[in-house]
Amino acid sequence: MTINRRHFLGSSAAAAAGLAAPMVKADGHGKPRVVVVGGGAGGATAARYIAKDSKSAIDVTLIEPSRMYYTCFFSNLYLGGFKEIEDIGHSYGTLASGGVNVVHDWAIGVDRDAKTVSLAGGATIAYDKLILSPGIDFVEGAVEGWDVSSQNAMPHAYKAGSQSELLKAQLMAMPEGGTFAMVAPPNPYRCPPGPYERVSMVAHFLKNNNPTAKIIVADPKPKFSKMALFQEGWADNYEGMVDWIGSDFGGDSVSVDPNEMTVTIDGEVTNVDVCNVIPAMKAGRIAELAGVTDGSWAPVNAIDMSTKADPDVYVLGDSSQQGDMPKSGFSANSQAKVCANAVRGALTGSKVYPAKFSNTCWSLIDTDNGVKVGATYEATDEKIAKVDGFISATGESAELRKATYEESEGWYAGITADMFG
Amino acid sequence: MPGSQPEEFSVSAEILALEGDLEYGEYLASECTTCHQADGSANGIPSITGWETEPFVTALHAYKTKHRDNEVMQIIANRMSDEEIAALAAYFKTLEN
Ligand SMILES: Cc1cc2nc3c(=O)[nH]c(=O)nc-3n(C[C@H](O)[C@H](O)[C@H](O)COP(=O)(O)OP(=O)(O)OC[C@H]3O[C@@H](n4cnc5c(N)ncnc54)[C@H](O)[C@@H]3O)c2cc1C
Repeated sequence: MTINRRHFLGSSAAAAAGLAAPMVKADGHGKPRVVVVGGGAGGATAARYIAKDSKSAIDVTLIEPSRMYYTCFFSNLYLGGFKEIEDIGHSYGTLASGGVNVVHDWAIGVDRDAKTVSLAGGATIAYDKLILSPGIDFVEGAVEGWDVSSQNAMPHAYKAGSQSELLKAQLMAMPEGGTFAMVAPPNPYRCPPGPYERVSMVAHFLKNNNPTAKIIVADPKPKFSKMALFQEGWADNYEGMVDWIGSDFGGDSVSVDPNEMTVTIDGEVTNVDVCNVIPAMKAGRIAELAGVTDGSWAPVNAIDMSTKADPDVYVLGDSSQQGDMPKSGFSANSQAKVCANAVRGALTGSKVYPAKFSNTCWSLIDTDNGVKVGATYEATDEKIAKVDGFISATGESAELRKATYEESEGWYAGITADMFG
Repeated sequence: MPGSQPEEFSVSAEILALEGDLEYGEYLASECTTCHQADGSANGIPSITGWETEPFVTALHAYKTKHRDNEVMQIIANRMSDEEIAALAAYFKTLEN
């Protein structure tokens, strides 16, 4: 018999035959302990699945500072007026009743030798397995003239909640015929179509409320996700409103002045009324503090999302460097379920099944005009590798676009139920 | 409910007779519940809980062989084996609507 990983982890026969089963138990007695840092798309899902499937055989603690998680997904639809802010807010009550110990605090340090996480409030929590899903932080100095202290004048709205509300308020207060500017981020970043769905939603709002207003986008990239679909959508629905300046036209040479409310693109200074700066991104800071990053992101093994740096520390979602999957909520949720299955197997000897991943990103261009791009993925020795994929076509019927939008509504309800219970 | 694949589409008796592995089905189902809600509610994406085996298995095979439209379902079903489809059918049948 050849012992592959699945059999090795899963079979009690192997353990009985005297092979060292890779079971990790806390010193002394007690249940094995999993600590999850970050209650977003990756972390909430992982915590929920481990608690649910281990049927209380594992202690699961989730550390998340916010009492309400506002999904970035659909936050653009909030800007466009298709959703209210309440529609995208989710609390952790159901997770707590489902057996997850929810601690509202910041993780500020990880001691990988002692296997502990320290919290801003002063507590120290021990783990057997640590799962980090802290999302993204911004690279300092990425956009000349901008730093976190200017995020009130020039919001990023790339972590949803108060930033989304601020950007919406600024959009609503724009003078007639004013200018909305966006500084788009370089690759890789969370939600590849996100900035362009945002342009569409801002254009939708302006078309109805301020039709002579203009949108300029300075982009450090020569092309972007679903580009043909978005450009077709902008031309068909928002003619003449959107001026996208890619790197071939100087979009990669940008600075901003939050006091003067100016944007300088390739040497040309423009006065703007709203400026949405989306800086370059990196793994959430706690991943760096834990010492599991290499450069901006945390390299992981595709089979179970464990880090290359430490087999007992896993990184999910945006912070991970895993291969071909885009940084999306769908991806983070998919990775979390593979990881939860592997972590539970390692701690309790339950069966570990082969990793399977998938992703679909829907975007809304205008009312009832949805598009999507998706793929399936598998774990190889090197990375999470794409298997098969699709993308909506240009020129699709209005009926199909409407069905695609309705599907995205179903997905939103599905994924948020899958994350939070 | 199922049935929007073409009338003439059907799968063999052997495929329908496969016994699904419930535990594997539960693991595989976690891929589905990103979109299809485990409690059977449906808004924009159909409910797949509490289906009988035959329509469930037939629908997935119809997506797999592109006899039924929807690109997301086609690529998801494309890499499922007959046993995996049987496992999913067995698991989702146990969930209440
Ligand atoms: C405008 C926009 C639109 C998007 N649209 C879509 C979409 O349509 N579909 C899609 O699939 N994805 C979409 N995304 C992407 C999606 O939001 C992210 O990819 C996803 O949230 C990543 O999940 P995560 O678990 O890595 O991080 P997050 O969901 O961001 O969760 C991270 C959590 O960690 C917490 N945290 C951070 N540091 C610490 C610490 N030190 N201690 C404790 N907690 C900490 C944070 O508070 C946060 O709650 C969009 C993103 C944006 C910005």
